[in-house]
Amino acid sequence: MSKDSQMRAAINQKLIEMGERDRLKELLRAKLVECGWKDQLKAHCKDVIREKGLEHITVEDLVAEITPKGRALVPDSVKKELLQRIKTFLAQHSTL
Amino acid sequence: MKMEDMSLSGLDNTKLEALAQDIYSDLVEDACLGLCFEVHRAVKQGYFFLDDTDQESMKDFEIVDQPGVDIFGQVYNQWKNKECVCPNCNRSIAASRFAPHLEKCLGMGRNSSRIANRRIASSNNMNNKSESDQEDNDDVNDNDWSYGSEKKAKKRKSDKNPNSPRRSKSVKHKNGELSNSVNADPYKYNYNTGINYETLGPDELRSLLTTQCGVISEHTKKMCTRSQRCPQHTDEQRRAVRVFLLGPSASSLPDADTMVESDCYDASDGQVLMSRLQWDGSSDISPSDSASSKASTNNSDSKKPKKKKSLGLNSTGGGGGGGGGGSGSGGGSSSQSSLVGLSNRKKKPKLPVPPAPSIYDNLN
Repeated sequence: MSKDSQMRAAINQKLIEMGERDRLKELLRAKLVECGWKDQLKAHCKDVIREKGLEHITVEDLVAEITPKGRALVPDSVKKELLQRIKTFLAQHSTL
Repeated sequence: MKMEDMSLSGLDNTKLEALAQDIYSDLVEDACLGLCFEVHRAVKQGYFFLDDTDQESMKDFEIVDQPGVDIFGQVYNQWKNKECVCPNCNRSIAASRFAPHLEKCLGMGRNSSRIANRRIASSNNMNNKSESDQEDNDDVNDNDWSYGSEKKAKKRKSDKNPNSPRRSKSVKHKNGELSNSVNADPYKYNYNTGINYETLGPDELRSLLTTQCGVISEHTKKMCTRSQRCPQHTDEQRRAVRVFLLGPSASSLPDADTMVESDCYDASDGQVLMSRLQWDGSSDISPSDSASSKASTNNSDSKKPKKKKSLGLNSTGGGGGGGGGGSGSGGGSSSQSSLVGLSNRKKKPKLPVPPAPSIYDNLN
């Protein structure tokens, strides 16, 4: 599988080099804000913080609580669009 | 890293799909992390809970969801069916109509004066059979006084008078003929509140004429209510009107020049004038004045039928007519004599001296 991982690394590298990764990231952020995902998650954060106590909250706590919920809350349309763009990129740059 | 053996095209779809998914989840995780950092910083800096409202206010401003009431809890047509008693006329009026009713009832407010004026004017009109006038309502300020026998052609939105002149276009042509003789008053008016000069006594007329322009418009048969210096009418017209209304030797214009009147010179007087013309031209006429007097010569020509009030002079004795005077002398002298009068009228009161003869000598 090293070939695989090598290939992945190569692709990632290409993504970054061409600036495509940043573009995709920005696109995703914008869409998530638009669809209200961010506000939902923020509300969840508030609950977590109230639960854990304002003073004693840590980044690890937050990450552990938030990330799984965040992944689940992404709407399907956003997911599909992003996957589409990634595949397009891969298709365009299949020969490395 | 060797690139030639790294070809995606060799991959099957599932692997491609898996790859894409991996990249996607990396991106999502980045987004989540970003949010976490943001929140954590807000918490530690103390501004995380700042945008929350306290519970009490939340209860106060909760959205209301009852029938008959909007989301703020206000009733929509609360005042619709209530009635109030008007303090002025003691009638019971519906609440939503109360304010306009009060405006009319008390006679205050913008519309009530307009309506009242209209009523006065229409009652004036009822008494008179008149030929109508289809002026457009260009000049709101020009209140013309009526000769008495004319229907006012004011725009009436609510009052659909079947006899209104506006109903028939043919009337306009009639007026056009009439107005040919008077080119001094081409302006439109829209106001019906002209005072019938016939109903005014001489004293009232006199007092009116001392303060107002008073020129009677041929199309509308109304007197101009503007000031003495109204730009639409010339002093000659004003003098003529005063002669017409008050008699030849009645009052004089407030800004009277004591000069010979320009309109109805006899031939003999024309000679006298001619001799005056031979004086050394006083230098007080400026080129612009002569130009303007020359221009207004045409006016006076057409005004021949109109009598003009002489300023301090007996009109039967005095006056030289630009228009009428043409019969007496040649064209040149007529223009000159008209120039005399016109320039007299236009300039300083003290000088009866004719315009610089040098300019018009060649006319002779």
